[in-house]
Amino acid sequence: MTLTTGSGFAQVRRLPLVLFVVIYTVVTGGPLLWVAMMSLRTTTEIFKNPYGFPSPVHWEKFADAWTKSNYGTYFWNSTIVVVIAVLLVTVVGAMAAHCLARYTFRGNRLVRFAILTGLVLPPQLVILALFQILLDIHLYNTLTGLILVYVATHIAITVYILEGFFAQIPQDLFDAARMDGYSDFEIFWRVTMPIGAPAIFTTVTLNFIVLWNEFLFAVVLLTDDNKRTLPLGLMHFTGSHQLDVGMAATGLMIAMLPVVVIYAFFSETMIKGMTAGAVR
Amino acid sequence: MFARAARALRDPGSSTIDARRASLGILAAFLAPALLIYAGFTIYPVIRTFYNAFFTIKPQGVVDFVGFGNFTALLFADPTFWKAVTNTALFTIVATIVDVIGGLLLALVLFARAPLAPLLRVVWFTPVLMSYVVVGIIWVWMYDYDWGLANATLRWLGLGGWEQSWLGQPSTALWSVLAAHEWKWLGFNMIVFLAALHALPGEVLGAAELDNCGWLAKLVYIIVPMLRTTVVNLTVLSFIGKMMVFDLIWVMTGGGPLWATETVSTYVYKRAFEWNTFDLGYPSAIAVLWFIIILAFIAIITRVFRQRDKLEF
Repeated sequence: MTLTTGSGFAQVRRLPLVLFVVIYTVVTGGPLLWVAMMSLRTTTEIFKNPYGFPSPVHWEKFADAWTKSNYGTYFWNSTIVVVIAVLLVTVVGAMAAHCLARYTFRGNRLVRFAILTGLVLPPQLVILALFQILLDIHLYNTLTGLILVYVATHIAITVYILEGFFAQIPQDLFDAARMDGYSDFEIFWRVTMPIGAPAIFTTVTLNFIVLWNEFLFAVVLLTDDNKRTLPLGLMHFTGSHQLDVGMAATGLMIAMLPVVVIYAFFSETMIKGMTAGAVR
Repeated sequence: MFARAARALRDPGSSTIDARRASLGILAAFLAPALLIYAGFTIYPVIRTFYNAFFTIKPQGVVDFVGFGNFTALLFADPTFWKAVTNTALFTIVATIVDVIGGLLLALVLFARAPLAPLLRVVWFTPVLMSYVVVGIIWVWMYDYDWGLANATLRWLGLGGWEQSWLGQPSTALWSVLAAHEWKWLGFNMIVFLAALHALPGEVLGAAELDNCGWLAKLVYIIVPMLRTTVVNLTVLSFIGKMMVFDLIWVMTGGGPLWATETVSTYVYKRAFEWNTFDLGYPSAIAVLWFIIILAFIAIITRVFRQRDKLEF
């Protein structure tokens, strides 16, 4: 086959294309590299020459940021909140998705509709009332409260993705499992979950990144410095140490590194996860 | 009894081992955890926000019923709100257009087998994974008057006269934030378009080539119409996101200078938690009104595209 799908474009003069590719790559990657270099230089060095290479390389800045600038605390808060919230929303969402995809029952469509409505609700529509509610039940300014809010606000997308995938699992498998005497929970745990693993992996990736980066709920619902998650900590640090660019850059790297490292190894999974709601 | 057994044999749907049915208890056990958390921390807050919109709510539980008072004040006596609406509308329209067209162009570049396309796809997507706080701080530095990359590049190109205090003056602030926003999101739209492009039937594109169809004609008459579903989806998705833009603006300008980047979302936040009015009712009214407007626009967008669907066939 000589007719390839892209060859029409390939005939376009190559030079402008290559030039564009180079410029866009510099524009996307450049700022990130710049921050990476600044994270290894002191503020004095940066103000002398903002675009220099790190020499000597100040690795100790990461230790300083971790211990002296409280980034260690922010990092652990983020980790605790995100890991627990993702775990909960995955289990709870998978159970609901399994139920909606597998069983025919009265009210099935109503429940589905109610949950999927969550996909279009703006956070501003819930945040003010959540502030009141968490105050009422004494969960304001606690990580527990934030975790519950994160789980609640990400059930919709989780169920949406998982239900679509679970519904495609052949019914024969479930009939066979039932014949073999599996209980309903065994079917969920030993049939749906293993077969649905790719979709579950996708939602875990998506929820992990979105929650790791979440800002609005956290800024409204947390106030103590030692409860701040990474985005709040970064914002707080740059706000109160506007001139300490070097240390702020180190903080940015601490916030970005987990995501970047995972991305380096699982880029395809992460791309698929982030776009799961938009690509069908 | 035999009749039932016979029916069960013929039609597995009615047998006692039907895997499609379960007792109420089991259904409840599967659904309850999700529904309880969802009802308590999403549905109930939404209802309470709608309710709050008709009250003035001060600290220490001082609550006064004001009817539609918040809404009339909002619509007829609040210039800041209208400034925020104008900014949000501008931001939404421009960013959505840039998102869709820019994303498509980037996808086409990779689809046209640009050198190293698989690698570029991964690199160009990286900003999507960064949080708004990270993106915002990086771009505040990029726009720094003295040592930011924006002005440094202009000086390097010999265009020092174009130096700006990008975020510091009302005329450029909104557009500068918008550029940062696009830097983060273009890669997302690119990936979605690229997936759609790869799903296109190869024969059609091949046939176009046999007909000696130029690449621009091919793009306008063949590729774009075939990508319509993706275009609609991305337009709606981008529209929703931009109508609620908060994080990036909050980090980069906080709505300033002189309300130049104030959006509806930042205004809601400010009225609730920063102004000394300390009233949760008024910002709730803004949030409710804005939600209704977003829903209306989504309905219109999908309607318009469906209409064109009908006309074409």
